[in-house]
Amino acid sequence: MDLLTPIDESTATLPLRQRSKIMIVDDDPALRQALTLRLRANDYQTVNACDGYSALALALRERPDLILLDLGLPAGDGFTILAHLRQFPALSLIPVIVLTARDPLANERPALESGAVAFFQKPADNEELLGVIRICLEAGSAWGGKLPS
Amino acid sequence: MEQQPAHVLLIEDNPGDADLVRLRLVESNPPVQVDCVRKLSEALKALAADTPSLVLLDLNLPDSRGAETFRRVLEKAPDVPVVILSGQDDENLAIKAVHQGVQDYLIKGDITSKHLDRALRYAIERQALLRALDMTRKQQLEFKNRFLSHVSHELRTPLTCIHQYVTLLLDGLAGPLGAEQADHLRTVLKSVTQLHAMIRDLLEATRAETGKLRVEPRCISLGQLIEQAVTMMRPAADGKRVRLETVVDPTIPLVHADPDRILEVLINLLDNAVKFTPAEGSITVKASMVETDPSAVYISVADTGHGISPQALPRIFERLFQDSESVESNRSGLGLGLYIAKEIVALHGGRMWAASEPGQGSTFSFHLPVYSLARLLAPVITEEGRLRPSFVLARAHLKPVTTPPLGNWKEFCQQVLELLRRCVYVDKDLVLPPMGSTGADQTFYVVASTDMERVAIMLRRIREQVNALPQAGGASTIELSATPLAAILTSPAQTLEQQVQAVANSVTDMILAELPGPRARETKGGNENGSLNTN
Repeated sequence: MDLLTPIDESTATLPLRQRSKIMIVDDDPALRQALTLRLRANDYQTVNACDGYSALALALRERPDLILLDLGLPAGDGFTILAHLRQFPALSLIPVIVLTARDPLANERPALESGAVAFFQKPADNEELLGVIRICLEAGSAWGGKLPS
Repeated sequence: MEQQPAHVLLIEDNPGDADLVRLRLVESNPPVQVDCVRKLSEALKALAADTPSLVLLDLNLPDSRGAETFRRVLEKAPDVPVVILSGQDDENLAIKAVHQGVQDYLIKGDITSKHLDRALRYAIERQALLRALDMTRKQQLEFKNRFLSHVSHELRTPLTCIHQYVTLLLDGLAGPLGAEQADHLRTVLKSVTQLHAMIRDLLEATRAETGKLRVEPRCISLGQLIEQAVTMMRPAADGKRVRLETVVDPTIPLVHADPDRILEVLINLLDNAVKFTPAEGSITVKASMVETDPSAVYISVADTGHGISPQALPRIFERLFQDSESVESNRSGLGLGLYIAKEIVALHGGRMWAASEPGQGSTFSFHLPVYSLARLLAPVITEEGRLRPSFVLARAHLKPVTTPPLGNWKEFCQQVLELLRRCVYVDKDLVLPPMGSTGADQTFYVVASTDMERVAIMLRRIREQVNALPQAGGASTIELSATPLAAILTSPAQTLEQQVQAVANSVTDMILAELPGPRARETKGGNENGSLNTN
């Protein structure tokens, strides 16, 4: 895979229904690209959003199976997105994994209480993150995509 | 900025002295408002209602005498300047008063109006300066901590990016790598890990300084924790050909400590020991009871390394301290590890200290509190002054399916604990405080004063309710099981207290034996057959 050519984020969706689709929401383009490469290497489809506003619009259009969400974002931070996702019946069941540089001491509990299923502080261990993604996608419907706090 | 003593609270029981002071102060220019009270209790009430510019204080009052008088006033109004006006010319008391925050100590009869006026004005000035200084110090500390916290979070973003791309390359996701390229990248990854650890330490030290460091104590097996730490550090020790030994007293009971935090402390001490011990040297981790204090255990990490110079030894726990005399030039930390370790131990109510003989090695030691089960058990395992006939140890083991756990794991564990408390007989059974080791797994124990038949019913009830919890499906596995306690051998010669202790020891032994580690003992005869599992 060529690391130097930026991925065209608008056409990043592949029309393969059997592969799970993960939406990456992060304002750092380099990290979005790295996560995209990592997830695609693990046979996931990816779509990317760089801020809160486009994340919601994209989620409505793309209906991802899972969302990887940064908390510090322009145009609606991670908590705003979590709150909005809950309001759309079609989106409220999508499992959300928070991946943020923010302090877990102050943010983990609020994020989980806002509906996130897991909280990772950056930099996260790849294997742990992929493990949680896999379990969430496998069991996604078992607990309705949401783990009530 | 100069201030006049506009409003003086005079605390003086002698009406003559009070009038004299009042007269002198009224002569001052501009005039001063003087309120006079005769007792300490009245003074404290006045200070609660209003803040004067200054307190003028006689020490011997009807309801308080000597140092106690100014101590109470300073405690009540820490920001108000206090000047003592005493009939007693006691230099020692005066110095003590000033050390504790009193602005001046004047002797009655020695002062003229002019003196008094000036003394009071200067006292107010000094107090204002002190306050400003204190405010600045607090603001600086606050700013420094906010800055450190901000910086350490901001550093994580680019660090994450480096980490992601290096692991992408190393995992071959951007094409195959040559051996040398992979080697270089592993060096980069190692540095990334070090940088990550430093950022974490920076934040931890900031938290320690502002009292925001937290520990979550549980009942733990110290032997297991030491074993875990030694296993983690063994590759590093082997790599340097340093022997790593443990001497753990098998009679150590449950210890009340945060397993993740104490593991961090042990790893930190072991990491230092490995770093400063040359090849063929040895490191010994010891744990034993404290002879003089049955409520504490002693843990030490001793090495045969270069030791610490006498100049460096007293400063070894200071923040950012690095021994410039140290033979070891390969620094890979910020010099915050020992500071954080000491703070963590202090949060457990223990203390940490170091001893060293240059050239002979160093020993880092600390104390941790023992958890006494006997006190907790006493009310439930006795009846009419004697022990109940049989006991069963029931357990609920909670294991998340992922690391880190999905959902609000802590909250879920708390819900299970509360559920257990609801499912037992309050007067006969006891849900023990959380037990366990590092990581997310949780084991809750119930000591039930009953037989296996009734416990089986209890476990069924627990199982039904646990399954009804929202997070129970998919995100975790929950094992419920029970084992009867071997008959407690008691003799009529034993006091009830000793018998309770015997049960507590038996329960402790069983729990410690179940947690893996050097304390693991053979299951006592008879337990095996009677065990119960409902999964």
